[in-house]
This record gives sequence, C-alpha cells and structure tokens, in this order.
Amino acid sequence: MIESHYSSAGDEALVRASQQGEMVAFEELVARHRDKIYARAYTIMRSEEEAIDLSQEAWVKGWQKLAQFHGESSFGTWMTRIVINLCLDQLRKQKRHRTESVEAIAEDSGGIERQMPVVIVNPTAGLERVELRQRIDQALGQLSYEHRTVLVLHEFDDLEYKEIARVMGCSIGTVMSRLFYARRRLAALLVDLKKDSK
Amino acid sequence: MKDHESELKLQAFLDGELPDAEAREVASWLAKDREATGLLGELKNTRQALVGFDRGIRLPESREFYWSKIQRQIESVSAQPAPEVQVSWFAQLRRLLVPATALALVCLAGFVALKQGGASAGAETSLATPGAFTYRDFNSGTTLVWLPYPAEDQLATAY
Repeated sequence: MIESHYSSAGDEALVRASQQGEMVAFEELVARHRDKIYARAYTIMRSEEEAIDLSQEAWVKGWQKLAQFHGESSFGTWMTRIVINLCLDQLRKQKRHRTESVEAIAEDSGGIERQMPVVIVNPTAGLERVELRQRIDQALGQLSYEHRTVLVLHEFDDLEYKEIARVMGCSIGTVMSRLFYARRRLAALLVDLKKDSK
Repeated sequence: MKDHESELKLQAFLDGELPDAEAREVASWLAKDREATGLLGELKNTRQALVGFDRGIRLPESREFYWSKIQRQIESVSAQPAPEVQVSWFAQLRRLLVPATALALVCLAGFVALKQGGASAGAETSLATPGAFTYRDFNSGTTLVWLPYPAEDQLATAY
C-alpha cells in the first residue's frame, strides 16, 4: 500500500520522505532515475560493470547527502552530478590519460582536427535508429575519456562551457578545444564506420 | 577558414555561448565564407546525431537486483558506529595530573597542619562537586578549595 502511494508521488514528495529516512520512498526515486544515472556512468566509463558499480555508489552517496539537497535543481540533475563526479574521480585514479597523451597533445595544439576534411555529407543520414545507436556507440568508444566526457556533459547534460570546466577542473579554453576536437573526430569516425559497413 | 580561434568561435556560435555582438559578427562571416559554413554544417550534424542517444541506454539489471545492492550498502554504512572522538595525549595526561596534584596538595597541607598543632586543620571532599577538595586550617582561619577544571566531560568534548 505504501509502495503504491509512493509510485504516484512526485519527486519532491519522495525526496522529502527520503530525507525523513523513508527508504521505500528512496527506492522509488532509484527506480525512476536508475536508467539515466546508469546511462551517464556508462557513456563516460564505457564499461557496463563499472557503470553499474559507480551508479550504485552514487545512489548510496545520494542517500547520505540527501540533507544537503534543497531543490536548487531537479533531483535527477543532482544525482547526475554525483555520478559524474564519481566517474571522473575513478578515471583520475585509473590515470587513463597517460595512455592517451598523444591524442591530448594533438588536441591541445589544435593540430589533427584542423587537418581533417570537413564532412559535408551527413554520415548518419538515412540510418535506422538501432544502427545509428550502434555506430555512435562505437565512435564514442574510440574517443579519449577527456574528449568523450566533454562531449557527454555538453550534449547530454546541457552543461555550459564554464560548468564543464568547473566539473573537469580545466580552463574554458580547454573545454572548447576538447569539444571541437571531439565533434570533429566523431564526424570522421562516423564516416569511417559508414565506409566499413559498405 | 581563418584560424583555430575562429573555429572555436564558430562552435561557440553554434552552442549559443557567444554574446550578441560577437554572434552577429560570426553570422556575417558565415554568409561570406563557404568553408566556415561547411564546418558549421558538420558540427550541427554531429550534434544532431547525438540527440537522444543516452536516453536509449537501459540498465542491464532488474529493479530488485539493482536496488538490493544499494540497500545493503546503505544499511551497512548506517550500521557503522560513529567515529570515536579522538582525545589528545595532552588532554589525557592533564586528566590524570589534575586529581593527582590536588591529592598531593591536600596531603601536603594536612602534613603541615599536623606538624603545626594537631587537629586544628583538616581536609574534606565535597559531595556536590566530584573531585573537589577542601582544606581548612582553623588556627589561621584559612580555607583552600581545589576544584577540577575544566570539567572532564567538557575536556572530552573540546578534544
């Protein structure tokens, strides 16, 4: 009976109940936003296992920090920030950037992407939804985590340049360069994938 | 195309990150530069291709299974005892020294009084304040009260 009551409640009411220690209300919040939180972890980490673990860790952290949530943003957005921070911490720990330094240098100097020819024909035009998803997934997987994360935060979370810079701990100029590189590289990768599929 | 800075400006134009005046400049530049228009088209296509991509990603676990691990972690975190308040070695030493010093003073005062004239002096412990000692010398009309300060509970809180 309690569960059915919560399933019809709004997020705000569920948050208030969770802040009072109602775990059933919190479970309902998890059920509602679990795909979104997992998706964000997955798009950054590119590993199902890590994305599941980190998204679950984010929910535990969310529960612990609920008292600090005052509704400045939506609950989903607040939780997304938590999972993004956890993912970035994890990536920093893994020091993945060491293996991607060549790409990072190229991007910082504004090099490689400037030599890429402009992709005039839309490489995703006419693709079925499933195929489009597969290709984008593959292409995103080939970007370095710095480029992918900037792209993800900008395109999927609608963060402005300055917000991305704050989250990632870099300058706005770096964010702009990384985003530009990521987009251009993604376009080139999508063209390659289109050629491969023929 | 001009330079890298101009390319980034073009991108900022696409993302709505330019102030109005600069946005107008870029718009007029685009009208004259086919290469810039081509690049803008590519950036737009890439952005468009990503729309809704993450909404199609689904958690590959059932609600119950996923929640059960979260619940276990929450319960285990909640069950952990609160970290103990760390009391510094200085505070611990002071806690021992205060009553020891008081006792030594009382003994000394009693010894002096006994030497000076028998039962005209005495020490007593106050019941109202635990750890307080009172020394009275009836001959000289002197009363000495030793109070433990700060109180032990305050000391523990402070450290």
